[in-house]
Amino acid sequence: MLAMATRFAVPCPWEKSVENLLTRDNLQKWAPLLVLFALVLFFSIANPNFLSMRNFARISILSTPALMIGVGVTFIILMGSIDLSMEGAVAVCAVLFATMFTALGGSLAGWGWLAIPGALFVGALFGLINGLVHVGLKIPSFMASLSMGFVGIGLSLLITGGDRIRVEDPLFRSLLTYRLGGFPVMVYVALAALLIAGFIQGQTKIGRNFYAVGGGEDLAHASGLNVPRVRIIGFVIAGIFYALGAMLAVAQIGIAETVTGRNLMFVSITSVVVGGTALWGGAGGVWNTLVGVLIVNVIGNGMVVMGLPSYVQDGVLGLLVIIAVYLSTDRRSLSFVK
Amino acid sequence: MSFGRLKRHFPWITLAVLVLIVGTIHPSFLRPQNLIELAGDIVPLFIMALGMTLVIYIGGIDLSAQSVANMTTVLATISLPIFGVFSGVLVILAGLAFGALSGFVTTRLKVPSFIATLAVGGLALSVGQYASSQRALYMDAGERDHAFGWMVGSGWSGVPHELILALVLVVLAWFLQNRTTIGRALKAIGAGEPAAVASGLKVERYKILAFAFSGMLAAIAGLLFSVKLSGGSPTLAEGFLLPAIVAVLVGGTPLTGGVGGVLNTLVGVLIVAVVRASMLYFGVPATSQQIVFGIVLIVAIALTIDRSKIRIVK
Repeated sequence: MLAMATRFAVPCPWEKSVENLLTRDNLQKWAPLLVLFALVLFFSIANPNFLSMRNFARISILSTPALMIGVGVTFIILMGSIDLSMEGAVAVCAVLFATMFTALGGSLAGWGWLAIPGALFVGALFGLINGLVHVGLKIPSFMASLSMGFVGIGLSLLITGGDRIRVEDPLFRSLLTYRLGGFPVMVYVALAALLIAGFIQGQTKIGRNFYAVGGGEDLAHASGLNVPRVRIIGFVIAGIFYALGAMLAVAQIGIAETVTGRNLMFVSITSVVVGGTALWGGAGGVWNTLVGVLIVNVIGNGMVVMGLPSYVQDGVLGLLVIIAVYLSTDRRSLSFVK
Repeated sequence: MSFGRLKRHFPWITLAVLVLIVGTIHPSFLRPQNLIELAGDIVPLFIMALGMTLVIYIGGIDLSAQSVANMTTVLATISLPIFGVFSGVLVILAGLAFGALSGFVTTRLKVPSFIATLAVGGLALSVGQYASSQRALYMDAGERDHAFGWMVGSGWSGVPHELILALVLVVLAWFLQNRTTIGRALKAIGAGEPAAVASGLKVERYKILAFAFSGMLAAIAGLLFSVKLSGGSPTLAEGFLLPAIVAVLVGGTPLTGGVGGVLNTLVGVLIVAVVRASMLYFGVPATSQQIVFGIVLIVAIALTIDRSKIRIVK
């Protein structure tokens, strides 16, 4: 009691620092991580089975493709644009990867490994077309990419004729089956890709350029930045990460088909936004996306562990997006929203 | 005549040229019976596009229309044995509510419409999957004919009833757009939102209304589709979203809003119908429809968008 009274009487430096810690910026920066911890705590109490190595491995396996797609679209959202083409891009990359892989002998030990750079190239090309349509034709990115997504889904349907392509090479499937320290290899592959993305974002010129364009395109342009070029490169990098996500998704189930990309648009954009990357661009990054992907997948997994049907997830994700965008928006600076 | 003035007439010229081409190569295409069937089949899509028009007209987009229609097919099938014809009223109100929710989220919470409607679409998807337990459901033929028989089939005149329904809706929508204060307000918002706000319009209210109408029309589209197919499933209306947006844009309502309108969408839907039919005639595999419509969409946006309104294209 006494301690409290003195604390209210004399503002000590400690209190000052708490005030500094609780600024809007800091709250926005750390809120996603806090939410993640709170969720893990909540589900662990609700069902102790949640807190097991096996379950964490399960969450991480489910998270890897979404993480790659999320990281890719993070670069786009950092620039203040959006990419809605991932379902089509992933479908095309997955199907072409499997086709090339099979045609080259069907084994990573043989020439099959060439399918991996091949798929990355396809992803880059898809991103390039996306960027060119958006920048070249001056079409808002959400519509340009939505259209390209439809084109991609149609293309993958045309290639497969609606069939599934099986990829059964044991060496390729070892991405899922071989475990190191409890987690399958694909999780480490995804983490390595995340580190590369972190490097691009923090240590390279193009990474800084994404922030510059997202922070204020006028300024970026006025200070001599070739904004169209930055935008197109952003879409190309995103495409490469979509291709990575597509291959990991194929490794996960051993099948490449048009629906490989299903639902990834909703999940990945939710993850990015929930992780704290602002939809208006300029703030956030790939580390936020890691947290966001984990939040989304912990919720999904936790609901299953608690015995809730999986389809409630779409609704919950929908609410999450709205809440996250609402909280991350500085509404005073906006006059209107389309 | 300058290009700019000619542009307004592009949609119907395109339609006429397409019909001429297909009709010359395959004269059977022009049989009245064939044309009426073609028009009848496209009605659910047209109704959804009609709602989408109102939202694009004010410069927004509604990506939830397909999910709302999906949800409607499920809800209508489930509630039909209980409420009879009133299940129609029920699902239309549900669509209205989901649309209004999209409108609320985008105007009051300032979430861009494509994200807001995507999220609300996720909600609708969940409801549809929950209500159907992720199965395909079937309507009892007797109950269906008793409650909604008037919607489908053709009477003494040989004109499918869907076409009459579509005609009624388009007249109502046209009246709303051109002869009411709401319509003028929507045009003002589409032409320039800041100016509309400055002149004292209750912009948020009208925007919510536009989204609500879009949800309602998506529900009517879903209801009609479900009556036509005599059942419902959470994926029944899959593949509606792309052609609906394409129809609005090729009809001449630009993504930036303000011009065009429901009659343009009528022309746009007919273009979509003719393109679809001609792909069948010319043996283009159905799987590549999405590629064609995706590219058509890009071209249509590029041709119609008003670049003076968007200084920075994000």
